[in-house]
Amino acid sequence: MTNSIRAIKATTGDRSVSTPNSTPNRADGKKDPWSQLLEKVGKSQDRQAYKALFEHFGPQIKYYAMANGLASHAEELVQEVFVSIWRRSCLYDWRKAAASTWIFTIARNQRIDILRKLKRTNAEITIETEDLWQIPGENDNEPVTSLHRLMAERRIRESLRHLPEEQVTVIAKVYMENKSHQTVANELNIPLGTVKSRVRLALGKLKVILQDQNT
Amino acid sequence: MTQHHPDSHSLMEYSAGNLSDPHALCIRLHLDQCDHCQSRVDTLDSLGAVLMEQQASVSVSADMFDHILARLNDEPEIPPMAVNKAGNALERLVQSDINDLPWKRQLADVSVLDISHLFPDQPEKVVLQKLAAGGKAPAHTHRGQETTIVLQGAFSDHKGVFNQWDFVVLDQEDTHKPIALEGPDCITLSVLSAPLKLTGTFTRLLNPFIS
Repeated sequence: MTNSIRAIKATTGDRSVSTPNSTPNRADGKKDPWSQLLEKVGKSQDRQAYKALFEHFGPQIKYYAMANGLASHAEELVQEVFVSIWRRSCLYDWRKAAASTWIFTIARNQRIDILRKLKRTNAEITIETEDLWQIPGENDNEPVTSLHRLMAERRIRESLRHLPEEQVTVIAKVYMENKSHQTVANELNIPLGTVKSRVRLALGKLKVILQDQNT
Repeated sequence: MTQHHPDSHSLMEYSAGNLSDPHALCIRLHLDQCDHCQSRVDTLDSLGAVLMEQQASVSVSADMFDHILARLNDEPEIPPMAVNKAGNALERLVQSDINDLPWKRQLADVSVLDISHLFPDQPEKVVLQKLAAGGKAPAHTHRGQETTIVLQGAFSDHKGVFNQWDFVVLDQEDTHKPIALEGPDCITLSVLSAPLKLTGTFTRLLNPFIS
């Protein structure tokens, strides 16, 4: 057990640990504090670590649900996400994804699940959400580690800061309000081509576009 | 090695969870076999996480954490979900080897199987198609937008060669005349974004192979 993990444990419950501490640990390619906590939940069912994650991510997930038009199911979504986090935490591998990325994908999948249940007529669901949308690190074929992944969040956080507001608005609507490019265009009353070019510029700066044809 | 990939817009809509099930299936089948796109999606997932963190947050009910703990106590020891499922998502969906499906022959070299019913509540038409090795499909155009992934074998048209796990999006601008390469029969999965006003005249399958 490293000193930093012990330090986290010592301060669990203290408000200071809930401050998103994005840079220091990430900079040298080590686990960030949230990933350390999540790993403790997975390895030793540590309820204090679990609670610290809940206090940090719970309110974010509740906002995510509300922004997505799931206001009347917002607390249900938070609950489902945290039950899922507890059950899957033994599969979590910090080398494959930062805790926040892993939790985002679980929130996304649980949102899709709730929407499917609400939308379902009487037809049986034949394909599971997780057959379509993957939680990072739960696929055998994935390479064990990738510096690229570890650095991704830090790089994105820094790049986002420098993006023009209009580009951030467009991608935030796609992610936080789950709107298609077309819906975003209608809402902002701008042509679809403008939405696409803002997304393209943003993703270019975030270095997501490595190779694109015809876009 | 795949040569034809989904564009960044599609990958972003996938990562955000905005795609319909059939479109998500096409992307997922490609990602399973394409490290390059998988790594772009990993980055996009991180973008989603950072955006979620930077937006507002809303306090949760004071007793929610206790409710969650109570649930964990009531429903303990559910083993972690099976991670290694057999086959890919499509094979699990159709519960068969794709070569052994009840194909319906439409032309000498062309067979199809409509699997739209496996996606209830989704407006798209979802079709599997098989072009016999070395076989030719008649020249045709497309109505609406059609997303296709090659599941087996390969075909070529004037735009190039499309191998297994390649990803193609075609629309009304595209006229082509695909030919299956020698080797295994070429099998593709196509999702046709259904125009909302489907009419009775819109009954013929529109896909990369058939007009």
